[in-house]
Amino acid sequence: MQQNKQLKRSDEPIWWGLFSAGGVCFAVFLPSIILFYGLLLPLELVILDYKQASQWFFGFWGLIFIGAVIIFPAFHSLHRIRHALYDVKFQQKTLIKWLTMGFAGLLSATSLLIWVIGS
Amino acid sequence: MSYRPTLTRTWWLKNTAFKVYMLRELTVLPLLFFLLCLVKGLYSLSQGAEAWYLWLAVMQNPLVMLINTLALLASLFHAWTFFQLFPRVMPLEFGGKKVSAPALVAGQWAGVLAVFALVAWLFWG
Amino acid sequence: MELEVTIQRYLPEQSSEPFNQSYTVPYDTSTSVLDALTYIKEELDPTLSYRWSCRMAICGSCGIMLNGKPMLGCNVFLRDYVQTGMLIEPMAHFPVERDLIIDMESFLTHLEAVKPYLISKDSKESVQSFDPHNQTPRQLDKYQQFSSCINCGLCYSACPQFGLNPEFIGPAALTLAHRYNLDNRDAGQAERMPMINSEEGAWSCTFVGYCSEVCPKSVDPAAAVNQSKVTSATDLIFSLLGGRS
Repeated sequence: MQQNKQLKRSDEPIWWGLFSAGGVCFAVFLPSIILFYGLLLPLELVILDYKQASQWFFGFWGLIFIGAVIIFPAFHSLHRIRHALYDVKFQQKTLIKWLTMGFAGLLSATSLLIWVIGS
Repeated sequence: MSYRPTLTRTWWLKNTAFKVYMLRELTVLPLLFFLLCLVKGLYSLSQGAEAWYLWLAVMQNPLVMLINTLALLASLFHAWTFFQLFPRVMPLEFGGKKVSAPALVAGQWAGVLAVFALVAWLFWG
Repeated sequence: MELEVTIQRYLPEQSSEPFNQSYTVPYDTSTSVLDALTYIKEELDPTLSYRWSCRMAICGSCGIMLNGKPMLGCNVFLRDYVQTGMLIEPMAHFPVERDLIIDMESFLTHLEAVKPYLISKDSKESVQSFDPHNQTPRQLDKYQQFSSCINCGLCYSACPQFGLNPEFIGPAALTLAHRYNLDNRDAGQAERMPMINSEEGAWSCTFVGYCSEVCPKSVDPAAAVNQSKVTSATDLIFSLLGGRS
């Protein structure tokens, strides 16, 4: 059965690589980032004024931030959504792959574009 | 004739290990929400001061803050599971000896604290 | 002491659907589930069918689902189920032939597909040479953990990905492949990689990790499968760089 079938190399290593990199970022960077930007900043326990923010985010460190805090975690997130959908038997594999990985790619491209325009 | 039982959509509800697995997979939902907030924030920042302060106001919405609190908890739960998997997927050797799994897990939590210290210094330092 | 034991029966000549049947079984502190099944067959109901051989968790024949968890019948005792009760079902994700007897054909095909044996650098030489292949403790240590598999198949019953897609080569087979790939006497990795690299190979795994929880020999198949993903990803990079794959 298995032997007779032509075995095709899966492209999953690419998505898994992005997923793993994003997993590290989600675990190591995101707790602090969510705490400061998602909670302390809205509670006004920390301050970030427009000028400061704009200089920092549209500089070199902003690009690092976009990679580590947006792009890799986006691929991580949508990789898990892709496989969780399969787990609950939405098994249109190709369509779901295009939708999820496409969305992660779109988020990445959008962030990079905003950075290019802003800097 | 033999019969083959098939899994239903809700197979993961039948066992604690599977529920924890699904919870781990679903940590990415509040994460995705937070990421969308960030992209919106970045866009607002590029649109000038007024848009930026408007974004800050949106981030103060109680519902937004509730989901982001969930995202924080999700990130910590994800870290807890992810750090345990790491020594099993990539066992490391140092000086010809295997590094113990608890040491690798502790090292990764030290990384989380280091990032916290860095971000805290950026804001408060 | 007595305990009610419920068993999922399947008698294809009587009914096309499985049904539950309960038996009252006497037990003491040393009565295993396998002992209980033997008691039922010998004293209460000779129509009950189940597999067993060694009674000591080494042959891997008596796998069952006990209250939804894959286990070896000989390895678990009635004394621990007084509070919860006992529901015994055939191993999940396999076709059921009769009562607790499953069809393991697909499991065996998957095992065979990964060439789980030493492949020598020169196949002609291996037939003729009877020289011992010495191995240092460190070389042994690399794969030893993954070599304790008894082919009981419990990890397949624990694996939802195998349940969703029976073509998935599965935890035990991937673990065996990894075990031989890590063995310094083996030169067969190149022959095993196409299977591991495929969709039905390591890449169907989502690290649920339940396979490692139920493994009666603590082999940790989930670790082996996910280490194989690293091997497979490396293999892809090498093939893209123009090396042989």
